[in-house]
Amino acid sequence: MDQKLIDAVIAARGAQLDAARPDAVARVRAGGKMTARERMAALLDPGSEVEFGAIAAQTADGEWVPEAGGVDFVGTIDGQTVIASSTDYTDHGGGYGAGRLARLFALALEHRWPIVFFVDGGGSRARHPRVGLGHVELNGAIGRFNLFDGMAELSGWVPTVAIVSGPSFAGHASLAGFSDVVIATGGSSIGMGGPPMVEAALGKRLTASELAGVEMHQSTGGIDLLVEDEAEAIGAARRYLAYYRDGPSGSPSSKAEDIARLVPADGPYDVRPVIEAMVDVGSMLELRPIFAASVVTAFARMNGRSVGILASQPVVADGAIDEDAATKIARFVELCDVYAYPIVSIVDTPGCVIRWTAADGSVAIEPGVSRWHARALMAHHHRTVPLFSVQLRRGDGLGSAVMGGFASGRSVPILCLAWPIVQIGSDDGFAAVHNHNAFDDVVVPMETRERIIRMLPHLPRRLERSEKKHTVDTW
Amino acid sequence: MDEQRPEAVAAAHVAGNLTARERIGLLLDPESFVEYGVLAGETSSPTDNQAADGLVAGAGLVSGRPVVAASYDRSVRRGTQTDRNQRKLSRLVYLANSHRWPFVCFVDGDGTRPGDPLPAPPIVVAPRGRWEVYEGLAELSGWAPTIAVVCGRALDGNAGMAMLADCVIATRNATLGARDMSAGSVVERPVAEYASRGHIDLLVDDDAGAIAAVRQYLAYYLVEASSGTPSPAYDTIDSIIPENRRRAYDMRKIISAFADADSVLELGAAWGRSMITVLARLGGRSIGIFANQPSSLRAGAIDAEAADKAARFIELCDAYEFPLVAFIDNPGYMVGPEAEREGIARHHARPLSALHHRTVPLYSVQLRKAYGLGPYAMSGFGSSRVMPDLRLAWPSVESGGMSLEGAAYLVKRREILAAETPEEARAIRDAYAESMRDAASGLRAGRAFAFDDIIHPLETRARILSMLERVPRSFGASKKHPIDPR
Repeated sequence: MDQKLIDAVIAARGAQLDAARPDAVARVRAGGKMTARERMAALLDPGSEVEFGAIAAQTADGEWVPEAGGVDFVGTIDGQTVIASSTDYTDHGGGYGAGRLARLFALALEHRWPIVFFVDGGGSRARHPRVGLGHVELNGAIGRFNLFDGMAELSGWVPTVAIVSGPSFAGHASLAGFSDVVIATGGSSIGMGGPPMVEAALGKRLTASELAGVEMHQSTGGIDLLVEDEAEAIGAARRYLAYYRDGPSGSPSSKAEDIARLVPADGPYDVRPVIEAMVDVGSMLELRPIFAASVVTAFARMNGRSVGILASQPVVADGAIDEDAATKIARFVELCDVYAYPIVSIVDTPGCVIRWTAADGSVAIEPGVSRWHARALMAHHHRTVPLFSVQLRRGDGLGSAVMGGFASGRSVPILCLAWPIVQIGSDDGFAAVHNHNAFDDVVVPMETRERIIRMLPHLPRRLERSEKKHTVDTW
Repeated sequence: MDEQRPEAVAAAHVAGNLTARERIGLLLDPESFVEYGVLAGETSSPTDNQAADGLVAGAGLVSGRPVVAASYDRSVRRGTQTDRNQRKLSRLVYLANSHRWPFVCFVDGDGTRPGDPLPAPPIVVAPRGRWEVYEGLAELSGWAPTIAVVCGRALDGNAGMAMLADCVIATRNATLGARDMSAGSVVERPVAEYASRGHIDLLVDDDAGAIAAVRQYLAYYLVEASSGTPSPAYDTIDSIIPENRRRAYDMRKIISAFADADSVLELGAAWGRSMITVLARLGGRSIGIFANQPSSLRAGAIDAEAADKAARFIELCDAYEFPLVAFIDNPGYMVGPEAEREGIARHHARPLSALHHRTVPLYSVQLRKAYGLGPYAMSGFGSSRVMPDLRLAWPSVESGGMSLEGAAYLVKRREILAAETPEEARAIRDAYAESMRDAASGLRAGRAFAFDDIIHPLETRARILSMLERVPRSFGASKKHPIDPR
C-alpha cells in the first residue's frame, strides 16, 4: 500500500489527540477541567476503549461538520461494556457529536449497553450547516436515530448517565434531561436556553449559573447528584453503573446491631442511618438527596444483591408525602422496575399532603391527595419487580400505598413487615398482626435485614427480556 | 328509591344538587339502568334503612353503548366509603375491566365512614372493596375510560379515587380535601384550585352540566360517525392568522373552525395555558387535537406545565385510539430562570417521549413558527418510527434553530449593543430578521422536503380527512400503557 495513504490517516488521527492541541488543552486546564479524552480515560478501564469516528470531524474540504465537537467510545467499566462519550467544548462549543453518538445509540439498543456521557455544550449553533436557520428535514436521519428519539427509545432499556461539568444548554441539556441519572459538578448549569437566547428572548442578561445553576436544580429535582469535580463525577457514575450487576455477597454494617435504637417510638429521626444499618456496609448511594427530602431514594446492596431503597424521612416535614415527594417516588419505582432492582420500602409517614402557594407567595401545606400522588400509586400498580415493605411506625391514609403499593391485587409487597413499634389504629404491631393479618410478620428490627436477604434468592433478577417494560419518565 | 326519601331529596335540591339516583338516571339512556346491590345496607339487618349503603351503582347505556356508573349519596352517612359500598364499586370495576366498558363515578363523600368494620389499612392482602377500587382504577387506566365527577365534597379516599381517574370533571361549587387527623378538622379547597394545577380536566356549572360533559366525553370513545359537518367557520380559517407575523391570535378559533361543527370538548383549560388539548371530531371520527396557544401569557412557548399537559393528553389519545392532530405555532420551549426553576430541562422530554412511544397516527400542521426543539415537542422527530403520518405546513410557516429575531441577537450582537437607542437596536434586529425570512419561508421549507406538503389553509381538513379514512380505528387485545395521572 502507498505509505502516504497510511501516514495521512495516522496524521489525521494524531491531530485529534490532546498532545496535538496544546491551546485547547491549556484552555481546559485554565478552567480547572479535564479534556474530553482525559474524561474518557478516567471513566473507562485502561486499554478497553475503542474509539468511533476519531477523524470524522471535518468535511473532505476541511470544513467543520456537526459531527465534530466530541469523542465517542465503546469500552468497559469494571469489565462491563458501556458506551462512553464526551462533548469537547474547545471544539466548536461542543457541537453535538450527533452522527457518532447516534451510531453508538444504535449499538446500545442492539446490545443493551449502558451509556455514560458528558454533555456540556451550547446546543445547536445559530448557523448550524444542516438545520441552521432552515428547517428540520423529513427523514433526515443522521444515523439510525436522530439523537433525541434515540434517548426516548433507550429509556428503560439501558441505563443512561449524564455528567454535566460545565454549561449545558438546549440540545445538550435535552440529552441530560432524558437521562436516567444526571450527575453535575458544582458551578455547572443545565437549561433549555442559554444566556444569549435568554437575552434575545427576555432581555435579561444573566450568567449561566444565575440562569440555570445546578445548585438550584439540586433542590428543584433537575439533577440526581451534585459533586465537587469531574473526578468525583466519574467515580459516582462508575459507582451507579456497578449496581447494574449484582455482587456475590456482602457484609452487614457495624451499626446493624444498633438499628432498634435509631428509631424512637415517637418524634423525628434521620432514616439514613436506619438504611445504612440494614444494607451492606458502605453500599448506599442516595439520589436526589435535597429535592423532596421527606422521602429518601437510594441504591444499595443486600448481601450483594442490588436493591432500590425507598424510605420515609421523618426528620423532614414529618415524612409527609407532598407532590414532589410523590413524583420522586414514582420515578424511582419506574427506574427500579425497568432495571429489575427489587425495592425495599421503609414506611413511616403521616400520609399525603399538598403544598399550596398563594398569590402572595406564602405556602400552606395541607393534608390532601393530588394527581402526583395518583402517579405514584399507578407506578406501584404497574411494576413487576418485587417490593419489600417495612413499616416502622406510621403508614396513614394513602401514605402506605404511595410508599409501597396497594394492599390488594398485583402490587402487594412480596413481604410485608412491621416493627413492634408500628402504629396501626390503636393497636400495636403484635395486636395488628394477630387481629388483622396486617403484616406477614412483625419482626425485631435487627431481623429485618436477614429476613429480606433470605427472601431475595427466591426472586432471581429478571433482566433478560426481548423488549423494554416501559420508559422511565423524565420527571 | 327517592320517592321513599322525600327529605333526602329536598336536601339535595335545596343545595342545588341532584340526588344520586337522579344523576344516574340522567346520565344513562332511559330504562337502561341495571342496579347492583340496591339492597346493600350499612348493616345486614333486614330493617337497615341506609339506602343502598350510600352508593347507587350499576350498569347501563350511554348513547346506546354499555357503561358502568355509580354515584355516592351524601344523604346516607355523608357519602362515606364503607367496605360494603366499595365492594359494589369494585364489582363495577370488574365489569369495566372484563368488557372494556367506561367507568363513571359521581364522587361526593367524606372519606372513610367512622366505625366501619373494615380494619384500617394496611392489610397484607385485602380482597376488600376499598383497596380493589384504587387498584382497579389503576388497572383500568389506559384500558377503559374512567371518569370521576366531583360534585359536592370529596375527602380522603373519595378524593383519591377522583385523582386516579383518567378524566376528572367537577362542578364549580365542589371541594376536594382531607381530614386533618392531628387537628381533628377538615381541610378543603375549591375545585378551581385543583383545576389550575392540572388535577381536574373540566369545570362545569352544576350536576346537569357535568352529566352533559360526561355524555359528550364518553361519546368520543363509544360512538364514531361516518361523516361530519364542517364548521361554518371553516371557510374563514385562512383569515385567523394576522398578517403581522408577530401578532398573537387565539388558537381556539383555528381548532373550532377545523373540527366538525360543535364537536370540540376542551380538557385542562385551567392549567398549562400555553398548550390547548381538546377532543373533537373530524368527519365523524373522534380525534385528539393538541395545539400551542399564541395568545397565552407565554405566547405559546412550551413550559413545564404545557409539556406535562401535552404528554398526558398524547398518552390518553394513544390509549383510547384517538388519532392526534397537532397545530403548531410556538417559539420553542420556554427559556429563562423561571422556566428553568420549574424544571423545563426535565419536563421538556415528556411530550417527546410520549410521541415516541405512541402508535396512534399523528397529523401535524405547522401554522406559523416552531423554533429550536419546538417542532419536535409537537410532532416528534424527523427520523425514526414516530414520524407523523402527514406533516403539513401553511405558507406562513417559519422555523429554525431559533427565532429570526433571536438569531439576530447572536449574529448582530455587537451592532445591537452598540446602538444608541432602543429603536435603532430594534431596527438592526428587524432588518436582519427580514433578510433571513426567505431562508425560513414556506416555499423553502417545501423545497427542502421539511414537510410532506405546504398547503393552503382551506385544504387542511380534506387533506387530513383523506389520510384518516385510510386508518380505521382498532383496539388492541391488551392495554398499551396506563395514562400518567400528571
